Amino acid sequence: MGTIDISLWSLVIGLLLLAFPIYFFRLYKVKLVVSTLVAALRMVIQLFFIGLYLKYLFIWNNPWINLLWVIIMVIVASFTATHRTGIKRSVLFIPVSVGFLATAMVVGLYFLLFVLHLDNPFSAQYFIPIMGILMGNMLSVNVIAVNTYFGDLQREHQMYYYLLGNGATRFEATAPFVRQAMMKAFSPCVANMAVMGIVSLPGTMIGQILGGSAPGIAIKYQMMIIIITFTASMLSLMITIILSSRYSFDEYGKLRNIMRKHK
Amino acid sequence: MLEIRNASLKLGDTQLFRDLSFSVDCGQVVCITGDSGSGKTTMLRAILGFLPLDDGVISVDGEIINSMSAETFRRRMMYVPQELSLPFDTVEEMVQLPFTLKNNRYVKFSYERMMDEWKKLDLDASFYKSSVAKVSGGQRQRMMIAVCGLLHKPILLTDEPTSALDETHARLVVRYFRELASKGTIVVAVSHDKTFSSLCDKIICLNNGNN
Repeated sequence: MGTIDISLWSLVIGLLLLAFPIYFFRLYKVKLVVSTLVAALRMVIQLFFIGLYLKYLFIWNNPWINLLWVIIMVIVASFTATHRTGIKRSVLFIPVSVGFLATAMVVGLYFLLFVLHLDNPFSAQYFIPIMGILMGNMLSVNVIAVNTYFGDLQREHQMYYYLLGNGATRFEATAPFVRQAMMKAFSPCVANMAVMGIVSLPGTMIGQILGGSAPGIAIKYQMMIIIITFTASMLSLMITIILSSRYSFDEYGKLRNIMRKHK
Repeated sequence: MLEIRNASLKLGDTQLFRDLSFSVDCGQVVCITGDSGSGKTTMLRAILGFLPLDDGVISVDGEIINSMSAETFRRRMMYVPQELSLPFDTVEEMVQLPFTLKNNRYVKFSYERMMDEWKKLDLDASFYKSSVAKVSGGQRQRMMIAVCGLLHKPILLTDEPTSALDETHARLVVRYFRELASKGTIVVAVSHDKTFSSLCDKIICLNNGNN
């Protein structure tokens, strides 16, 4: 059984459900009515454009164009990540970009070649959604972790200098901060993994079942998506932290001023 | 021997010290003193290799401390900063921290030896299992000074070691430093405490660019 298409009129009927949350926002005078409507409108417009260019990406199914699309996604994701942290772009942009691109390609191709055994791993049907889901997860985890890592370093710099002054290597002196960043960023992922399928049915699985896949196949994809996104988030974070050290510490191991000035 | 030769450093528009020279032999306790903002802590940071001098050199046994060698030199150093506040829940975790470093694993942490050092600094053994939040700043600083007694490295650098202490405990700390020095440790302490500085072997006074 194929996917049931949703007509424009049916979409409008579905969007009418927003009336409920908006009613309660107005009832309690929560100042989110306008931003909700604007966000919903943006979502509709953005997704329509995405649907349009994905349609052509799938038609062309050209590996170089698919790769170019990934590079564009990496650049946009990197700008977004650096914007959401309080860190100077000059410190973070290149490390984040390299981390995202290298990790997406390595983990993504590993999955496409060795798990799915695809003859053509750059096939749009698989390459695009896998890269997209990796990018989305890496972005959210990296923002939390990077904010925690650099924020704690700035705040608890005494601990950093104490460790250095007592013989720690740079790795040892930054390890407590990396540890804290990982705890904060990955604890929700681990908790989510533990209750997957019990508390809620995850998105990939739902999408596949709605698209006509058998549940037995959908669950396998879901498991793999969780594993590759978890792995990619960790690898990209490690690359970001290692590469950004070049810009965030001087040759004496002293912390540079890396925070962006807010207007 | 720790040697500072013709050291000059300017931070912003302020000349902290100019053409400063002094040396510290093994077994000496030296106090760097001066008004607030005179560059005392900055001198300590320069010895630790955290920032470069504008002019002059800092050397240990003839080898110059610079960006390439700083990490190597810090393996031979112990550092107790001012108003030390480490983000740990318990005193036990806090005092064991330096022993987890790869370069310090030549010394195995021993609770009994730690308590021996604590006795010298009038610290009660009951603090060991307590929360860090229940321990005063002065007690925390003495605990981390006691850690230096176990690590027993060639150089100890400390910033205002007696600022949170009364005179009795300040004298205990000086006596402790003398004991470390008698075993060959070079002790360099930044302090504006006149009682403390009067008990040191040498006083280096920084005076806003005029040493």
